[in-house]
Order: sequence, then structure tokens, then C-alpha cells
Amino acid sequence: MVIQENGPITEIKRLGAEIFSVWIAAARISQKIKPGQFIGVKVSEREDLLLRRPFSVADVNGDKIRIVFRVVGPGTERLARSKNGDNWDIIGPLGKPAPLVRNRNVVICGGGVGVAPLLYLTRVLHKANQVVVLLGARCTPELIMVSDFRRVGVKVQLTTEDGSQGVKGLVTEALAPVLSEMRAPVVYACGPKGMIEALCPLSEKVKVWAFLEERMGCGTGVCYGCAVPKKAGGYLRLCKDGPVVSLDEVVL
Amino acid sequence: MKFEVLIRDVKFPNPVLAASGTFGFGLEFLTVANRLGGVVTKGLTVKPRAGNPPPRIVETPSGVVNSVGLENPGVAMFKTDILPRLQRLKCPVLVNLAAGSLDEFCELTEILEETPVAGLELNLSCPNVKEGGVAFGQKPQRVAEVTRAVRKRTDKLLVVKLTANFVDPAETAKAAEAAGADAVSLINTLFALVLDQNGRPFLGGRTGGLSGPAIKPFALFCVERVVKAVKIPVIGMGGIRTGQDAFEFISAGAHLVQVGTANLTRPDGAVEVMKGLRRLARIRGWQNWDDVRGKAGEGCFG
Ligand SMILES: Cc1cc2nc3c(=O)[nH]c(=O)nc-3n(C[C@H](O)[C@H](O)[C@H](O)COP(=O)(O)OP(=O)(O)OC[C@H]3O[C@@H](n4cnc5c(N)ncnc54)[C@H](O)[C@@H]3O)c2cc1C
Ligand SMILES: Cc1cc2nc3c(=O)[nH]c(=O)nc-3n(C[C@H](O)[C@H](O)[C@H](O)COP(=O)(O)O)c2cc1C
Ligand code: FES
Repeated sequence: MVIQENGPITEIKRLGAEIFSVWIAAARISQKIKPGQFIGVKVSEREDLLLRRPFSVADVNGDKIRIVFRVVGPGTERLARSKNGDNWDIIGPLGKPAPLVRNRNVVICGGGVGVAPLLYLTRVLHKANQVVVLLGARCTPELIMVSDFRRVGVKVQLTTEDGSQGVKGLVTEALAPVLSEMRAPVVYACGPKGMIEALCPLSEKVKVWAFLEERMGCGTGVCYGCAVPKKAGGYLRLCKDGPVVSLDEVVL
Repeated sequence: MKFEVLIRDVKFPNPVLAASGTFGFGLEFLTVANRLGGVVTKGLTVKPRAGNPPPRIVETPSGVVNSVGLENPGVAMFKTDILPRLQRLKCPVLVNLAAGSLDEFCELTEILEETPVAGLELNLSCPNVKEGGVAFGQKPQRVAEVTRAVRKRTDKLLVVKLTANFVDPAETAKAAEAAGADAVSLINTLFALVLDQNGRPFLGGRTGGLSGPAIKPFALFCVERVVKAVKIPVIGMGGIRTGQDAFEFISAGAHLVQVGTANLTRPDGAVEVMKGLRRLARIRGWQNWDDVRGKAGEGCFG
């Protein structure tokens, strides 16, 4: 069952020019939410911003949930103006948890603000697998949450497109050499559409679990708004069948 | 007060229903569904339909534009998979039927006649499909023809869902009434086009249907107009989000209301509307719906 909670913000912090990290106290949702799932945030009591905005859970700590988001439009602009103590009306957990593996070589691959949902996942996967994390961004100010990942105790490699930190290039380019040294690797990826598209050829040889995005109406499976085409024909409902999907099963 | 509403032989425990397409097949949130006056299921067609390509939904000021395109598993799957589970619902279920031809409407009706659903809502108003849909609903003659053909094949409660797109719904409502409809419902979404920064259509289906608070004043106008034109009960919808909104539709003469887009904002959106209505009933001391229904012209309720 989906839970609705009004939780106060316990911390809001700017991570980059337009990227914010928010911790919300939401005891009932935080108890249940798993890596890969997301919450729906009501932006405004008023009628001008009607639909909830979906955000992946970036981390959980006791009764608190963390999300990390980029300002891209009116909803996220409004949310970015929140202050400590403001109440957010959220629903969750939404979506299916990411499928978890055990005793495997795992590569976590995140681009831009797409690294957000991978932190909680890394924390969980790290307990039972060999995990390597690749984080990429356009430039150093956009490279977020690096110390959070390092604190988990996993190996973290960085890439930037301008070469200002880590290896110069795209995070997907850094993936091939890492995979070539592994036996039966599993990849979890989240990032901009172009990045996920670049992983499609790889998904035919290696298991790639990708976090996808699509415009959502309800986030709960009732409106059929969040369609993603399946290779086998028809569509899946990203909010119910995803948002983490096996990349070889969808058409991007 | 007694919240129950009776239309023909169907007893709705309260006047607030979940609108088609915004509450799935009523199975996702059983505890919510069981507190409603009724559930109208997602549009059902004879054959399974994949629906329109994404993106299918986008927010506009105080509204939502969708081009889902009637994605559904088809009536055979509905009967074997969904219907047995629907029987767990305590409230009446109306099945929203969509079709590209008169024959298809008849076929759907015949298949559902033997099932325990309480009623049928003929969707003669969907703007998101190429054939059938709104094209049927724009001509009184076509509305009468389809209604008459379906009426012949069913004893169930028959609701005809009208469009307000480029047509006077008072005319199509009269046609539906004359052809044997037990009730009419309105409005479906309004024609809409959303363009992106580059001036290209945003939705995968190119155009879509506008719903939500943005359409409420127009929907209310249409409902009042239809209430004055026909004797059969009218089911009103369009932008209902609060008990006050529902009250306004009932004062305009609606027997029942449906809540659509508000279910997207929260799964219990329709229950919230009902709670608001109950609160109003208590504060204003209504004894029964006749105290309220159709009294809009009389002004103050104090
Ligand atoms: C399951 C899921 C999880 C998500 N998790 C995160 C997250 O952890 N952090 C984060 O920053 N963003 C996340 N997003 C994207 C986020 O929901 C959108 O950025 C947000 O809804 C934009 O709202 P807005 O009102 O600011 O912009 P709008 O005015 O609604 O849109 C402005 C622009 O934002 C982009 N956008 C809008 N909605 C979406 C969407 N559903 N998916 C992708 N892009 C969109 C489009 O480019 C659009 O042109 C997620 C989306 C989904 C579907
Ligand atoms: C996502 C979505 C899907 C819909 N699908 C259907 C449908 O299958 N059949 C139908 O008759 N109406 C459909 N509608 C229309 C609603 O039932 C309702 O008539 C309309 O949205 C106006 O009410 P609202 O403003 O409360 O949403 C849909 C509306 C939305 C938003
Ligand atoms: S967003 Fe409504 S079904 Fe996925």
C-alpha cells in the first residue's frame, strides 16, 4: 500500500549550481522504501502545480529519507526554495525495488544527477558483492556525492567530460576497461537518456539494470501515463513495472 | 444524513465515484475503492490496445493533458483476470466501454451482460483515439443509434458519457435519453495541444485531452445545461478536487459526481472529496440530497 506522509525537512543543502540534497523525516515510508523505489512529492497546495514530482530515494537513515534533485522547471524551482522545518507532502514507496544480486561483481555507473539513487543501492549491494562505482559528470562542480560513495567503503572512479577531475571523457567510456577485468559482471546504471542509450549495445552481453525516467501522472499505476515501449511489443508502466528495468527488454 | 444515491436499481453508497482512466481497474487501492460510491473502470475495448507512444501525460496550468489512447488488455482478459478480483469491491462497478464501431459496442455489451458488473458507461467522448471516441459523441444521431443498440442488449444500468468538444451536450444528452440511457455523464477531457520549446507537439499522440481544476467552471456550466435538458440523472465531473467542488456539481443538479485527475495527485483523492462533502453536510445541516441537488439557481444555502 502506498503511504502518504507530511514530513518536515531536516536538512536542505545545495550540492551544485542547480542541485539540491534534502533529508525529510517520514518514518513510515522510510521503514519500507528500498533501493530503486521513489517518492512522489506534492509541490504546492495550490492548483497550479497539480501532479506530484517523482524523485528516487538517494538514501535512508532511520526515519529519514534523502533525495537529491536538479532544478529543471517550476516544480523543482519551488522545492529548491524550501527551508528546514517546511513540511513536504510525500507518497511512497513507489515502484518496484531494484533487483539485488549476491556474490557477484557489480559495477554501479552514474551520470550527472543520476548518481543520486545509486548511493542507497550501493550501500545495500556492498554487503554481499564486490562493488566498483563509476561516477561521471560534465565538470567538477557537477560531480556530486563523491564522498558519500567513498564513505560506503567501495572503490570509486571518477570521470569528467572536461577532464577537470578523474579520467577525461564519458562515464560510459570508462566502463569497458572495468568490465573487461571482471567475471560475470552486473551493471546498475542511472543517468541522462543519452548515457543509458549508450549502454544498450552492452546490455546484449552483460546484465544491465537501468533506472529510466518517463513523464508520470500518478506514480501508482492507475493512469497508464508512464509508458515505455517493450522489445516484445506493447508498453510497460514505468511507475509499476520499474523504474529499474532490464535494459535488454525495452526500446529507448 | 443518508449519503446513499439510488439510480434505477443500483445503490451507490455515496455520490462520489472514481472516474474512468484515473483509477485503473479499481484493484490497485482496494481500501480506497471500498469507501467510494462506485468505481468506473478504465476504458475497455474488444481487442487489447497498446495505447499511444510516450510521452502520454503532461501538466499544464491547473490541469493535465493526457494522450494515453485507451491502453487496456481487452475484454477477454478483463473477464478472466480482472473481473474475479473486482468482485471483492463493496461498491458498484461501472465498466467504461470504448469502441471504434457500433458492432464493437454491441459485442462488448453482450460479453459483459452475463457478468456481475453493475453497469456500463459508454465512452462516446474519448479524444485520444482515431476511430470512434469523440466522433461518435459529437452527433446526436450517432449517440442515439449506439445507445439504442446497446440498450437492446443490456438490462444493466446504462450511462452514456458525453463530450463537450465542439458540440452542445444538451443535444446529445437528449438523444441518449430518448434512446434509452438511464443516465448521462459529463464531461470527458477537452481537446488540447501542448507544444515544447521548439514548437513541436509534446505528446506522443500529438494532441490530447485536458482535465483537472482548469476545466471545472466549463464542466459545471455543461452539467447545469444538461440537467435542464433531460429528466434522467446526470453524473457530473471535471476538476473535482474537494468536497466544495462536488457540492457545486450537485447543486447544479448532478446525482453523482466522478473524481478523475485528483486521483493522480493522491490515491485517496476521491475519498477526500467524500470526506469534504460529509463535513459540509454536517455543517450545513442537510437532511438528504434533495436539500441540495439542483438548487444552484436559488443561490444561498447558508
Ligand atoms: C522514477 C523517477 C525518478 C526520478 N528521480 C529523480 C531524482 O532523483 N533526481 C532528480 O533530479 N530528478 C529525478 N527525476 C526527474 C524529476 O521527476 C523531474 O526533474 C521533475 O519532475 C521536474 O519537475 P519540474 O516541475 O521542475 O519540471 P517540469 O516543468 O515538469 O519539466 C521541466 C523539464 O524537466 C524534465 N522533466 C520533467 N518531468 C520529468 C520526468 N518525469 N522525468 C525526466 N525529466 C523530466 C523535462 O526535461 C522537462 O522539460 C525522476 C523522474 C522519475 C520518473
Ligand atoms: C489519464 C486519464 C485517462 C482517462 N481515460 C479515460 C477513459 O479511458 N475513458 C473515459 O471515459 N474517460 C477517461 N478519462 C476522462 C476522465 O474520466 C474524466 O472524464 C476527465 O478527466 C474529467 O474529470 P477530471 O477533471 O476530474 O479529471 C481519462 C482522464 C485522464 C486524466
Ligand atoms: S504514472 Fe500513472 S501509471 Fe505510471
